[in-house]
Amino acid sequence: MARKWFSLVMAVLMVAGVAITASAGTLEEIAQRGELRVACQTQGPPFSFIDKNGKRAGSSIELCEMLAKDMGVKVTFLDFDWDGLIPALLSKKADLLAADMTPTVKRAMRIGFTRPFMYTGSVVFVKADSPIKTVADAKKAGLKVAVLLGATGEIEAKKAFPQAELKSYKGGGPLLLDAVMQGQADFGVNDASAVIGGLANYPPNSMRVLPDLLSKEPLAFAARWDSMDLLELVNLFFHNAGLDGRLEQNLNYWVNTLDWKKDH
Amino acid sequence: MVKEPIADMLQTFNFRVILEYLPLFLSCFWATIWLSAAGLLGSLAIGTLACGLRIGRSRLLAGAAYAYIESIRSTPLLVQLFFFYFGLPSLGLRMSEATTGIIALTLNSGAYMAEILRAGIQSIPHGQVEAAVSSGLSYTQRMRHVILPQAIGVTLPPMLGQAIVLVKDSALLSLISLPELTRAGQIMTSERFMPAEGFLTSAVFYLVIYYALKALTGWSQRRLIYLQA
Repeated sequence: MARKWFSLVMAVLMVAGVAITASAGTLEEIAQRGELRVACQTQGPPFSFIDKNGKRAGSSIELCEMLAKDMGVKVTFLDFDWDGLIPALLSKKADLLAADMTPTVKRAMRIGFTRPFMYTGSVVFVKADSPIKTVADAKKAGLKVAVLLGATGEIEAKKAFPQAELKSYKGGGPLLLDAVMQGQADFGVNDASAVIGGLANYPPNSMRVLPDLLSKEPLAFAARWDSMDLLELVNLFFHNAGLDGRLEQNLNYWVNTLDWKKDH
Repeated sequence: MVKEPIADMLQTFNFRVILEYLPLFLSCFWATIWLSAAGLLGSLAIGTLACGLRIGRSRLLAGAAYAYIESIRSTPLLVQLFFFYFGLPSLGLRMSEATTGIIALTLNSGAYMAEILRAGIQSIPHGQVEAAVSSGLSYTQRMRHVILPQAIGVTLPPMLGQAIVLVKDSALLSLISLPELTRAGQIMTSERFMPAEGFLTSAVFYLVIYYALKALTGWSQRRLIYLQA
């Protein structure tokens, strides 16, 4: 008798659950929850990292806090390795992916990107005393290049340095800097913004960034394709923040200078 | 409205991509096999040595072996691995990924092998030792002809169990960017965003290794029972 009631209650809840989720768009869900869930990097200065006070900080973190405040919801950050960001978004662990990710066509086959909030490019970085002075030097055969698993730098490095031995690190930009610093790799390839941000944690002049850009890359946030409403909302937010100066302020503080180092 | 969940999953599970990545998985499968094999041989050597020192007569060496075993058993393998890979270079000692990985696996499993061997040796009935002593056998002769042959019969199953653990531990080597089986799943996930296909394929290959080791356990046990009779 009790079992019959139980099955009936479960059946009703399941139908109700389907009925409720089937009709709500992502923005409605976020509003109902009162919470925006953001997938960010565990260690990706200056966009998302743990600062010297032990708190999560960074350009993307601050932008999402502004966005959530404008939306009227609270924001929860879920941090992942670089290659875990897209799976986290696809598996609905997060509504929004906020990182320094380049919108590539391959990625866009699975997730939707907002319009770019800034532009950067891939650079080569070496230890200060390295014999590698130009990108041409780095093209010698047999050199070891540190790249980030799942990043565009990995693809750029394969293209630009086909004779190099590729070492793909899972995690974030700082691992590449560590690898080059410790001599595990002769040079590394990553976004200029990530490299400069990461270098802030090393003694000055311990590493050099070669001046040539290997590529030009826009950076954008991302959401699932089923969340077109959220994508358009973030586009609107970037547009407005661009007009009222908040975006420029954010980028100048975190990305274009090392001002953030004073407080974080 | 409510889709049949299993049929739905099978429709989206992409077998074609797995076939495309099969060469990668096979080369990583081979990497896992030889890394684990090297780790296994190393851990047997270190384990035997550490066990011998631990139950041997030199108090100093026994203490050293004890310290080694305890420090391995009390810390996670991941911490040990990161210490060897990230920590040692900052102190000046740098090795290749493969070397670091094999050393970490060897030292880790070596400690557990030492304990397994010790338990096996100490499980030999004392009567055997007494009989050997009264027969006039020296310590080494005792070990070689009486104690160790019996101990191996007892310790082989748990040692093969530790071998299986070692193979699964080798998955952590993906975190020092070694191109092994787990890393193959990570690569497929980062290139195609298909974690289900990627990691399920890795799991299937690990299963193959597991069943091979299990068959070896069964075969060796049957042989030992035959020998003991």
